[in-house]
Amino acid sequence: MTQLSPVLSIRGLRKSFTLHTIDGRTVSSLRGVDLDVHAGEHVALAGASGAGKSSLLRCVHRSYLPDSGSVRLRVDARPDGAGVELTGLADRAMARLRGREFGYVTQFLAAPPRTGPLEVVAGAARRRGLDRAAALDAAAEALRRLNLEEALWDVDCSLLSGGERQRVNLAAGTVSPPRLLLLDEPFSALDPANREAAVDLVASLAGRAVAVLAVFHDLDAMRRLASRVVLLRDGRIAREGTPDQMAEGLR
Amino acid sequence: MTSTTALLDELDTCTGPIGLLDEGAKREIRRAALTAVCVPGYQVPFGSREMPVARGWGSGGLQITLAVIGAADTVKVIDQGDDAGVNATNLRRMIASSTGCAESADTRDATVVQTRHRVPEEAMTAEHVLVYQVPVPEPLRGVQKSVAECARMHAEADYSAMWVSLYEDLVRNGMITRTTGYPVLVAGRYVMATTPIPRWDVPRLRMSEQLNLFGAGREKRIYAVPPHTEVTPLAFDDVPFEVEHAPGARCRLCGSDDVFLVEAGTRGGYLCSDTEWCARVRAGDADVDAHRERAPLDLLPDPARRAGVPPAVTTPRPRRVRPPRAAAAPEWALRVDGLGKVFGPLAGGDPGVTVAGTGPEHATAISPATGAIVAAWDVSFDVAPGEALGVIGESGSGKSTVLACIIGNELATAGEVRLAEVDGGRTEVLALAASARRLLRVDTMAVVHQNPAVGLDLRVSAGGNIAERLTAAGWRGYHDIRRRAAELLDRVEIPLTRMDDAVRTFSGGMRQRVQIAKALATDPPVVLLDEPTTGLDASVAAGVLDLLRGVLAERSVAAVVVSHDFGVIEALTDRTLVMQLGRVVEHGLTDQLFHDPHHPYTQRLVAAARR
Repeated sequence: MTQLSPVLSIRGLRKSFTLHTIDGRTVSSLRGVDLDVHAGEHVALAGASGAGKSSLLRCVHRSYLPDSGSVRLRVDARPDGAGVELTGLADRAMARLRGREFGYVTQFLAAPPRTGPLEVVAGAARRRGLDRAAALDAAAEALRRLNLEEALWDVDCSLLSGGERQRVNLAAGTVSPPRLLLLDEPFSALDPANREAAVDLVASLAGRAVAVLAVFHDLDAMRRLASRVVLLRDGRIAREGTPDQMAEGLR
Repeated sequence: MTSTTALLDELDTCTGPIGLLDEGAKREIRRAALTAVCVPGYQVPFGSREMPVARGWGSGGLQITLAVIGAADTVKVIDQGDDAGVNATNLRRMIASSTGCAESADTRDATVVQTRHRVPEEAMTAEHVLVYQVPVPEPLRGVQKSVAECARMHAEADYSAMWVSLYEDLVRNGMITRTTGYPVLVAGRYVMATTPIPRWDVPRLRMSEQLNLFGAGREKRIYAVPPHTEVTPLAFDDVPFEVEHAPGARCRLCGSDDVFLVEAGTRGGYLCSDTEWCARVRAGDADVDAHRERAPLDLLPDPARRAGVPPAVTTPRPRRVRPPRAAAAPEWALRVDGLGKVFGPLAGGDPGVTVAGTGPEHATAISPATGAIVAAWDVSFDVAPGEALGVIGESGSGKSTVLACIIGNELATAGEVRLAEVDGGRTEVLALAASARRLLRVDTMAVVHQNPAVGLDLRVSAGGNIAERLTAAGWRGYHDIRRRAAELLDRVEIPLTRMDDAVRTFSGGMRQRVQIAKALATDPPVVLLDEPTTGLDASVAAGVLDLLRGVLAERSVAAVVVSHDFGVIEALTDRTLVMQLGRVVEHGLTDQLFHDPHHPYTQRLVAAARR
């Protein structure tokens, strides 16, 4: 389909945890994953719980430190850009790269305490390079698009409902779109009407060349958004294909 | 038959002059006085002798007079401007009788004038030595009790505490109220106390014709202002120094209004302080016009220029111009390499032997070889502008020791510290002199301590504490300092109505906010925070944390946050070091350490932080 090198390129990724506080036992999570995600492509991870879907997202985000393997991110617009190896990147460089290139939306909102939605979303836009005024405009537009009541924009995020928080999170992840968007059950707490707006928003990102790697709990969203579905089993890729091809196995 | 008077006269002739000081003592005092002349304004210690007057009654001045006077001299002694008082008379007679010099109440005849409280109104000439009896020689005594610390402040010309006391006087009273002992800068170097003279006489020290020698017998100090020496009263650029003056006051006897006047007892009105001058004016034996030329009439109080009235035009702030970051400048603002601190004996001077067998893998920080405590070892990190680095660990893990070594409160045993601001990072900061390192803390590397009492003077107002940092950095505009302090206090949400209250009246959270404002006063490129919210109530700590997050985000400072609390580290930092038993056991992105801790110790810390 394309000659462009992928935005995200994962090779031989392994991750295990050594639990020193219990008895030093090791729990394996990813056992060698190879995966590419291209600009504008929307890859959905599927699989039973414990298959390693969230671990994979976290390894890409460097919330988890992979044991071995490679995660490369193409950070410039040149199609043949070699990209940056994230697994060995210095902490400081990774922190900067995250702010500029990544969007990461989980079920939980990682907002600093006592900050309001507008500040959270504008902060994300600032880290992606917008100036203060532009960041505030973009944040307001993103929140409006997700139907978050304006009266809540300066209310401490911890006071918001689960669905409201999730919309703040989505707005922060997608505002001034990042190069790579990681979604971990981003619609789980949304009611049907809000879910519709959120799915539309994410769908619109494909046109803006955002590479999306996502875990969905609802198949309907997956069918509508995913250009490719990757099935994980026991920390490995078991199968992949178009949503239609995969629909059989997922039911 | 011999009369009693004749008998007494006979007694006088056969006793002869009695020497109060032997020649050796005089030599020593003259030597101290010469040193004082060579280093104007510097307090020279000398071996103060017992005098036949109590210490505190002029024994210092008397010793100088006796050491410098000879039989060919003429002595005059002034006490409170008066030649005829009991003290003045007795001192004069004692000096004259023990040295054989002449005595006079006329300044024009005198060669040595010993004084308490005044410089004579008569013109002083190169023929005069003016000897002052000093009650309090140390100008810093009021702001610093420690003698050693006063000595350090003089040595480093660190007079910001003095400026703060002037600032506080202006804040409280709207004008300078200090009468005797007004601080002056002598020859651009030492701050000197002008005790015992009033402000009225301070201008007479500047570029004077006479030699001024100051003696404090009790404190055993001699200091001097030689002729033709620059003497500048300490004053803010926009609040001028002024002399004492009551509008319309005149001497009730001689009618002079250009002299230092004192209140004339219960009958009201004023009298000349200098009785000699008053008598000569009345006798027509005074050059009144020349005197008016000498009088400090240009320094009379001018209410329009006092502290309460901000000037229309502001003086430019003495902001240090930071050189633009060169292309070759390091990415970091602060870099620490292999920092180590051992408390206790080093085996054979080789830290390697001492440090062996300590650290997490040996589960101890106590050296098996020497018993020394290895508080920190091999700690390396760097911090870039706009970045906050966390250092986490339990109490005793060495985090605060690392900070103390960086700021210079502890001497590091090993390692290097560099600041991009200092010589582009080429200079090793630990090798600098202690005075140079203290200067770095003024405008290059600020510290916020866990205990606000360490970083603040609780007796001084919130604004005064900020003024201390600003005056140390060279700010000399009173209104500029007020404006900057107000701006900072407003930023840390201290109500401006509390700006002039002593910090000791503030709550713990407010004190911490003032400390943060002070740390940011000079826009330092590096800020070190040592447990900034520990010890505060949860709600107060949350407020301080929010404030810190805000100020760190809006300024491009490099911050190091030391805390045992994962919540604080998570709220403020992007990257974190984990310390245990003096070593860095793990480092990473803060959220990665929280979600995926690798080291057993970090896992324990994280498990404890999850509530």
